[in-house]
Amino acid sequence: MNFNEPQIDYAGISPLISLTVGLCVVLLSAVFKPVRRWAPGLTLIALGATAGLLIWQWDDPKALITGALKLDDLAISISLIAILTAGFCVLFSIRERATEEAGSGEYHALLLGSVLGMVLLAQATNLVTFFVALETLSIPLYILCATNLRREGSLESGLKYLIVGSIGSATLLYGMAFLYGGTGSTGFAGIAEGIARNGLDGDPLILIGIAMAAVGLAFKTSIAPFHQWTPDVYQGAPTPITGFMAVATKAAAFAVFLRFFDVALGSQLDTWQPALAALAAISIVVGNVGALGQDSLKRLMGWSGVAQAGYMLGGVVVVSKAGVSALVFYLAAYAFMNLGAFAVIVARERETVFGDDIRGIRGLGAERPLLAWPLTISMLALAGLPATAGFIGKLYLIEALVEGDYTWLAVFIAVGTMISLAYYLRVVAAMWMRPEGERATGARPAIAGASPEADPVDLEAGRRWYVAGPALIAAAATIFFGIVPQPLVEFAEHAGRALF
Amino acid sequence: MSATAWAWLVLLFPLLGSIAIALGFRALPQKLAGVIGTASIGLAFACGVAALIGLLGEDPGARHHASSLWDYASVAGLDIKLGIYLDQLSLFMVLVVTGVSTLIHLYSYGYMQSDEGYHRFFSYLNFFVFSMLLLVLAGNFVLLIVGWAFVGFASYALISFWYRRETATRAGMKAFVINVVGDIGLVLAAFLIFRELGSFDYGTVFEKAPEVFSTNEWTVTAICLLLLVGAFAKSAQLPLHTWLPDAMEGPTPVSSLIHAATMVTAGVYLIARTHVLFALAPTAADISAFIGLATLLVAATIALVMTDLKRAIAYSTMSQIGYMVVGVSIGAYSAGMFHLMTHAFFKALLFMAAGSIIAAMANEQNIDRMSGFGKAMRFTSVTMLCGGLALAAFPLTSGFFSKDEILAYAGARGGMYLIFVVLGYFGAFLTAIYTFRLIFRVLQGEPCLEARELIETGHVHHAHPFNPATGEQEDTDVGFPGPEHHIAESSAPMRVAMAVLAFGALFGGLIQVPGVDNVVSDWLDPVFTGPVLAHVHPSIAWDWIGLAIGGAISLLGIWAAHWLYIADPEAPRRLETRFRGLHDFLFRKWYFDEAIDLLVVRPALAVGRFSNRVFERFVVDGLVSGTEGGVRGASGVVRAVQNGFVRSYALLLIAGFAGLALYFLLSSS
Amino acid sequence: MSSAILWAPLAFGLLGLFLPSRTVGWWAVLGTAVTLGLAISAALGFDSGSSALQYAVDEPWISGLGVDYSLGIDGLNLFLILLTAVLWTGGVAFAAFREQERPKTFYFLMLVAETATLGSFLAQDLLLFVLFFDLMLVPFYFLFGAWGHDRTGEGGLTASAATLKMIVYTLIGSLLMLVAAIATGVIAADGGHLTFSIAALQQRSLSHGSQQWLFWFFAAAFLVKMPAFLLHGWMPDAYRAAPLPALAVFSGVLAKVGAYGFLRVVLPLFPDAAVEFQEVILLIALASILYGSVMAFTQTNVRLIAGYSSVAQLGFITAGIFALRADGSDGAVLQMVNHGLVVAPIFVIVALLVERTGSEDIREMGGLALRAPVLAALFLIVALATLAMPGSANFVGEFYILNGLFQAKIVFAFVAIAGVAMSAYYALRLYQGAMHNRAPEGLLSREIGRRDALVLVPLVLCILGLALYPQLILERTAPKVERTVAKVTGGDAPEARLATTTPPTGRKYPYMEGNRPVDLREPGTP
Repeated sequence: MNFNEPQIDYAGISPLISLTVGLCVVLLSAVFKPVRRWAPGLTLIALGATAGLLIWQWDDPKALITGALKLDDLAISISLIAILTAGFCVLFSIRERATEEAGSGEYHALLLGSVLGMVLLAQATNLVTFFVALETLSIPLYILCATNLRREGSLESGLKYLIVGSIGSATLLYGMAFLYGGTGSTGFAGIAEGIARNGLDGDPLILIGIAMAAVGLAFKTSIAPFHQWTPDVYQGAPTPITGFMAVATKAAAFAVFLRFFDVALGSQLDTWQPALAALAAISIVVGNVGALGQDSLKRLMGWSGVAQAGYMLGGVVVVSKAGVSALVFYLAAYAFMNLGAFAVIVARERETVFGDDIRGIRGLGAERPLLAWPLTISMLALAGLPATAGFIGKLYLIEALVEGDYTWLAVFIAVGTMISLAYYLRVVAAMWMRPEGERATGARPAIAGASPEADPVDLEAGRRWYVAGPALIAAAATIFFGIVPQPLVEFAEHAGRALF
Repeated sequence: MSATAWAWLVLLFPLLGSIAIALGFRALPQKLAGVIGTASIGLAFACGVAALIGLLGEDPGARHHASSLWDYASVAGLDIKLGIYLDQLSLFMVLVVTGVSTLIHLYSYGYMQSDEGYHRFFSYLNFFVFSMLLLVLAGNFVLLIVGWAFVGFASYALISFWYRRETATRAGMKAFVINVVGDIGLVLAAFLIFRELGSFDYGTVFEKAPEVFSTNEWTVTAICLLLLVGAFAKSAQLPLHTWLPDAMEGPTPVSSLIHAATMVTAGVYLIARTHVLFALAPTAADISAFIGLATLLVAATIALVMTDLKRAIAYSTMSQIGYMVVGVSIGAYSAGMFHLMTHAFFKALLFMAAGSIIAAMANEQNIDRMSGFGKAMRFTSVTMLCGGLALAAFPLTSGFFSKDEILAYAGARGGMYLIFVVLGYFGAFLTAIYTFRLIFRVLQGEPCLEARELIETGHVHHAHPFNPATGEQEDTDVGFPGPEHHIAESSAPMRVAMAVLAFGALFGGLIQVPGVDNVVSDWLDPVFTGPVLAHVHPSIAWDWIGLAIGGAISLLGIWAAHWLYIADPEAPRRLETRFRGLHDFLFRKWYFDEAIDLLVVRPALAVGRFSNRVFERFVVDGLVSGTEGGVRGASGVVRAVQNGFVRSYALLLIAGFAGLALYFLLSSS
Repeated sequence: MSSAILWAPLAFGLLGLFLPSRTVGWWAVLGTAVTLGLAISAALGFDSGSSALQYAVDEPWISGLGVDYSLGIDGLNLFLILLTAVLWTGGVAFAAFREQERPKTFYFLMLVAETATLGSFLAQDLLLFVLFFDLMLVPFYFLFGAWGHDRTGEGGLTASAATLKMIVYTLIGSLLMLVAAIATGVIAADGGHLTFSIAALQQRSLSHGSQQWLFWFFAAAFLVKMPAFLLHGWMPDAYRAAPLPALAVFSGVLAKVGAYGFLRVVLPLFPDAAVEFQEVILLIALASILYGSVMAFTQTNVRLIAGYSSVAQLGFITAGIFALRADGSDGAVLQMVNHGLVVAPIFVIVALLVERTGSEDIREMGGLALRAPVLAALFLIVALATLAMPGSANFVGEFYILNGLFQAKIVFAFVAIAGVAMSAYYALRLYQGAMHNRAPEGLLSREIGRRDALVLVPLVLCILGLALYPQLILERTAPKVERTVAKVTGGDAPEARLATTTPPTGRKYPYMEGNRPVDLREPGTP
């Protein structure tokens, strides 16, 4: 018997390696007192290195580990978005109570772990890697949500996320089992062949499998009606983590969403397209009406996230290059819009006693324009108003939808956007305009710890470079890509070409 | 210089005058403003004469010229130039308008002296003359409409000249809105003309009309009726006349110029100007004639009972315009225009006389409170008498010839047109009565307080003036003549103006005496060669018979008036009590105001209130709040589901999955 | 050139952020003045004879999505651009004469608004147009909301609530329009090269079916913006809340963008639908005319009198466009400019009245003319122009509109013209109510100040100038308009042309079977 060692493409897996190494280093750094404070720095270095390695691989797609992973531009772009978000998250976490309480090293290690999961997920082309990556992504997040130990809300959100999340994962796992059973393959390509071989008409095994997988993915991307964890968890989790979850998780999950449906099930459009379209429509409506009159900004972002996920799902529904590109573009834009907003929320949480309540930003426009503008821009962008990346993103999505004969979904997006104005602009109004006469709509806190304990107030928080900096950068990027979208468009088109 | 060049100057001077006075209202001393105002009109008159000389040099057939400055608005096939059309008719009007206006400006120069709004008054007055001339000289229907609306505005501005009088502002609004209705009639007529003839230009239209339209074809009839809407609104014919009596709220020179001599006769001019069309639509022409007749009688009857001096004269104006409308509608074009001229003389004069009396009475206009001014104000009463005689068609006065020429023509056409002769003479009878009713009651009898004061001291003092209509004290600082504004006939300019007009009123008719001379019709007839009707001519004999009857009737009327108001002063009372119902009916002006209020004003306002209170609130806002409510409701539902319990979240998750799976199974099997 | 006009205000606005608060107002005035200068020079260099696009700019912007940065000036937008520049100069100057809170932000937003508005007029790419169309709202949202007046009492809305209502309401239209615009491009491309250039899209014809729904998506946006009858729910609250300088430009210009959109986008791209739905739109227009007028003469709030009168005026403009004749549309374009030129001064005057009387209720005003003759005179001119007094350019515009309507759909013309009579009433009512009759107790009336006159008089002079020579606009507009309309009616030349060239003699009368009836005139007549 002879043993021929597998041929390994180290360049291809280098990003994963760098992340893993970084993870270990950061974790170890926590052990030695003197270097404990370096954790954030080390994390940033690790992220930076990974980003570098990914960009190095740009535009040369390759299958890794016997086709279990596929490092193409889609994967890279999504990973980059995730890493960028993680980077912002690290900055937000500086001086965050959660970080101190959980221990900086552990906190950042978990963060890196989650990022690792995302990078994996973005490349997954195989049910096994798919699931492994998903769990690598989720489990650290469950913990991170609960890191704000002294805050009931944080713990509750962590727990909630864990329980509901595991239901999601379980469903997904089941689904995968069924699919494997039905097609006799774990690779997406294999599944596609399998389905192609013996059709899909009325094969309950595969169908239920697809449904389950869909649910699992919908859960991670917080598509209604599998969204309910989102507002609660977002509100409870430490704000930097919320920001991270809101963007990165969505991005990674959507990447595999694309691969799974557009590649593995690409041949079976007519079966699942209407269903996903319906889901998209539902979450557009649910998300937008849910966000109305929310006083907790994080909660509001949660709901808006549900709606935005609905918009993005449109990119998956139309199985086309334009769809993928639009989705990737929107994810990138979404990253900037959200991070800008979360930066300001972080700042106000530390500056005021109101926590993330909308009262915390009253009159911001007059007294702190430097904080008010980023939040304003983010809100306008999320509402899809022109001259922001959000507008171009919507434009891109709608174009993809119309080309894919899903104009009605495009109309849904338009209608949803209108409703969304009501709450996005409410935030803007709170900052710039006299308090409205309307009484606070009874948004009763859905989780116990919604009323924050008195956190130590730091009036300068909003002026510190690691908060103000990211805020301004995100806002600037939002505007810049709203006026000069071409670079981002090309970036997205690369990703699109990866699948079609 | 060509005749048209002079015509442009005719337009230019009043405009310049108006602008100059308006811009210099702070700088110019009062007297100078008055001089500028009067002079500019005088110059316009001079230019008019120059243009006349110019035209006289040409052969009668070729005395019409069009001239335009620039394209006003000519695209997409509409040809609208800033152009004028000068011919005998328009020049005739120009001369009448500028001539009378000059005199009335002269009168105002003295009359308005103690008025705060002196500059404003003259600026408006000049602007009015400009607009009137624009109306007369316009070379196409659009420009006609412009002039038409401008005079409407000028009249509005001058009616509500004393703008702190509620009554005045309301009257102004009324006049303006009714005149806008008239404008709309013209606009629609213009559209229809454009649709049929593809042009707004007089020349093209009048040339094409006969070949395009066949007689009494509905289009041409419609055009004429629409034109009549405009004409009647402006000339206060039934049923669009209600604004004219109220217009007497304005200063008396305004009533004299705009609401007697010039503007209100624009309708007559319009019909004469578009005679080509009316000749093609005899039906429309007859309708117009009958409305004119009706107005003539209605107004005369109302004038019999009016106790307000100026309003009574206003109704007589309506009635006289009725004659002119009848004239130009039945084809007696030159006769109609002739009456227009003479009427301008004597009616302007009457108003001037009334003006000085009213001034003496401190703006008291009720003739019941006046008497015995004959001795108190010699000059005024003499001129008033001249005017009265002419109005009553006293033999050999101007009105005598002009009015009877119309009726003689109607007789010559015969057939149903004899109605006009009969009722026309009846109208003349009424005219004579109400004219001398005024004269006798104001000039004769035991002098009233003011009159006696005048006789004794030659001067009157009266308290601060009050508005007879509302009883509120007049606000003199906006220009309403204050206590010191009393008898004004002493001022020389006024005397001159009145004297000239008195002369015109008495002897103006002599330029057109049947069988003797024919100045007016000789001048105008070339314009009206086209239509058949211009060729109907009453014989000299019939003319004189008609004149004889007319004279007799007028004398009869004067005698009746004398019997009623001098011989037996109690007679009016008795008649009034005997025919109480009739009297009230007439005194309430046949209830026209009430009817219009009921049929037009109230419904409009009601609709407004409805749409304000009900529609806007429930439908329009409902649209908004309804959607909003729906969305909020949905958000309530979503929140209710979002109850924070993991178990229910899990439940929904499973449910969702079930639904999805079910769909897949059903759809693909 | 186009780009310069477009970006000048924004550039000044951005620089203004770095200036001391005292000077920023004047800086903004300078910015608008410079823009005006550019616009005027563009107008002077404009070749009036041609219907072609001039000062055209065309760069790819988002090549991936087929969106181009293409601007240009032609007969349709030339004077609307001038109008925008003029009114903004006036409005900003008027504001600069007064204290503004947070001046930097205020003027920045004003200038952003100007750029956005100019953009929507200049844009020759469908998506670019939509982008600017939506962008216009953003600065006004802040201006109305943050600098507006809260209304207390029954049904009183705060400024922010009122503006939220406005922006949501108007964006409903615009977002649907975004979808429709993209759909237009995609459907027209039909798999081929994707472009949104309006000129290019005109060449490709859309199927009747798709034209129908696209038409309504666009129409919705434009009708809300105007606002048209039933879709004006946002107007009263927003108008009551808005700060007057901003409101002057808002109602002066933004409403026109809707009407302009019909000419620029709807007629060329969806001709069949335009013909098909002509009556429907005309009905809406008539409803706007009548309803707006009726409301205008029952209101007591001076802002709302002006507001509802604009509803009526925009009704006329829409009617003119949908007469689908050259003269109607010529009139419409002219009337857009005219209405902008009268409504902005009205709001300036309203501002002055409010300063003098301390109230916005017409019943609490009066007698101002006595102490303020000049203000009264200016107001009078504006009021007369508003009621389309013959002799004003507004009359010419209305005349063209109604003539077009009359020749196209005679019945509608008869109904529409009722609005003219009503406008006479409400315009005079507004003037008289403020200027005439007895002044209420303790009302101190003041003559217009030199500085405000500096704003008002030039605007009034524009009105008078146009009154003397409306041809100025008409002759430059006509060629392009005729091209546009001809595309709809299918014929190369609009009917109005024929009217003059072909003598109407010997027309066929349906009710006469061709042979003329006997001549009723007496014999022996020429």
